Amino acid sequence: MFKSILDKSRRLVGVGSMAAALAVAAPVMAQDKEPIVFGGSIPLSGVFAFAGVHLHAGLTDYTTWINSEGGINGHPVKYVMEDTGYEVDRSVAAFKKITGSNKVPVYYGDSTGFMKTIASELNSRGTTLMSGASFATALTDNEQYPYQFIPGPNYSQMFGIILEYIATQGKDGDMPTIAFVYSDTEFGKDPIENGKAKAAEMGIKVVEEIVTKPGSVDVSAEILKLRRVRPDFVVFHGYVLSPINEFMVQMRQMGLDTQFMGTFWSSDKLIINKMGADADGYMGVMPYNYYDSAESGPMLDALRATAEKSDPDAGYRPTGYMQGWFNAMVWTEVIKRTMDAGKELTAENMADSLASIENWDTGGIIGVPVTVQDMSFPVGRIWRVNAKEARYEPVSDWIHLD
Amino acid sequence: MDWLFFGEISLAGLAMGGLYALIGLGFVIIYKATRVINFAIGEIMMFAAYLFLAFAGGMEMSPWVALPLAVLGGSLLGGVIEKVMIRPMLGESSISVVMVTIGIASILVGVVEMIWGADPQLLPDFLPRKPVFIGEMYLAPKIAYGFLIGAAMLIIYLLYFRFSRGGVALRATASDQAAAYSMGINVRRVFNLAWVFGSLAASLAGVLVAATGGLSPQFGAIGLSVLVVVIVGGLDSIVGALVAGVFIGWLETVAGAYLGGEYRMPATFAVLAVILVFRPYGLFGTHDIERV
Repeated sequence: MFKSILDKSRRLVGVGSMAAALAVAAPVMAQDKEPIVFGGSIPLSGVFAFAGVHLHAGLTDYTTWINSEGGINGHPVKYVMEDTGYEVDRSVAAFKKITGSNKVPVYYGDSTGFMKTIASELNSRGTTLMSGASFATALTDNEQYPYQFIPGPNYSQMFGIILEYIATQGKDGDMPTIAFVYSDTEFGKDPIENGKAKAAEMGIKVVEEIVTKPGSVDVSAEILKLRRVRPDFVVFHGYVLSPINEFMVQMRQMGLDTQFMGTFWSSDKLIINKMGADADGYMGVMPYNYYDSAESGPMLDALRATAEKSDPDAGYRPTGYMQGWFNAMVWTEVIKRTMDAGKELTAENMADSLASIENWDTGGIIGVPVTVQDMSFPVGRIWRVNAKEARYEPVSDWIHLD
Repeated sequence: MDWLFFGEISLAGLAMGGLYALIGLGFVIIYKATRVINFAIGEIMMFAAYLFLAFAGGMEMSPWVALPLAVLGGSLLGGVIEKVMIRPMLGESSISVVMVTIGIASILVGVVEMIWGADPQLLPDFLPRKPVFIGEMYLAPKIAYGFLIGAAMLIIYLLYFRFSRGGVALRATASDQAAAYSMGINVRRVFNLAWVFGSLAASLAGVLVAATGGLSPQFGAIGLSVLVVVIVGGLDSIVGALVAGVFIGWLETVAGAYLGGEYRMPATFAVLAVILVFRPYGLFGTHDIERV
């Protein structure tokens, strides 16, 4: 317990010294050109803090790295953020404060709720392009959210990638059967209708659909329902950890050979760290290479080197860190493309630059060149837990949806 | 109708209801003796579960040593809360006291996030993993053994209240504070004891529920389900908490299995609404009559 407090203090000191280093370095770089501000409503506290601290570290480290590379077309980058506690009203207040005192071309939103709430203001301002922690399908509606994008596949696309993989796992010409298990939240319900439609289109039978109450609940009755339909695959969505562990452990106790899969936020090392050997065989869809994967590439190597330098004691960096870094990478690419085209950094020009991304090499963060479709990157790979090695290993090629 | 399935989910629901009854008991003991509605009960449960995690996980103690230590820690926390924050509120309006308990809940969430962080957690396995069959009916082992431990605690409590001096003092204070005081009962000590015993029951339930459903700083939200239990049973009725706890646990599970998980809460709140219309003081609560 005390070690944990000490670790946190040490990290805070690390962040502090990094901020000090930035404060020293930034003015030197800023002598010639105006800084470009990355803004952010970041959930460093509250229910999403488990991911927020890593998103923040990814954004911070990317800023350090890009500045060490000379910034964006010679403009230094400044990362300005506020803690929101994962509350929409505080996120809105942070947005107003940060954009009120800085010119902010790109901004990190901490939740779907905030990104939906701020959309009309974002549209009327026309100054800022936004992405963030959300992979919500709704945000890829270009009519309603023209200046917001998803730094990976949206949740429906994640289901699409999972279903593409499941379709290859049939035996003797039969398609496997699946069950969807999701939380009774906006997050949990997001991909279900599209997932069912896609499964029907592919000839995969959805044999059961389980909705669970959010929070700490007993799910043994729901597991009894699954025992009766014996699905080949169970796909979870809307969870971080519980009740995935209970479904897996109890269904295996019942002698079922069902395989278990999850989407982005339920495919981090947390599952392995907390479940131990019980996590073996669990699979997740992930658009980025894991920090400790065997993959490499110039940007992935730079990420690892920067992470190691900023906090040598941190070890493995969670998927939230990768997501924060990739967000900032996309912002940089978009700003660079807009500047290179001699255009002003308006939301519309940057959205056009984003839409122009085609076969973009992300330097190993994503293992294949990526193309933006409907303000998202519909690509991912299926990874399976090897509990003995305590890591995820790829079991599919990269799947890029059309 | 698949009767085997109905039997299995009913068993699971009744077992979960047993844990609700234990939490409800913690709620009722405090209310009965002190007339304080403790909105921090979910967070006291959470705190005890985190203590268990620290003892059994961080310090690698045997879970069977960690469990009593965590439960005692939770009950001690209840005693300290009463002495430091609730006792100075004696004589203040009940709304003020309720607000204090809500404040305590927020403080406990903050303390837990500061010490253990915001990551979701799983408690170390300490209950047998072998599936339990009652006839042909399957019951998840964690639920089955959790229920047995909870039931044992309930029986100890009932015997204590019925036969011990402390239990009699508590019941006497609950029925008439002034009379109890005039008979030499140390009412302040009884108040403190009520918080200690109420928190102890809640702490044990907290560890058992967290062992099944996982743990996070938001764990305390389970207190809302228990509020339904004690209002249905009657805020000042121990029997009411037991009966309503088991019933609400069963209803939630059956509604979830047949109607879908999104109907768990609406089903229990529908029962709550009906009870409030016909018996506003709960199924077994005391019907106060004010004569003017």
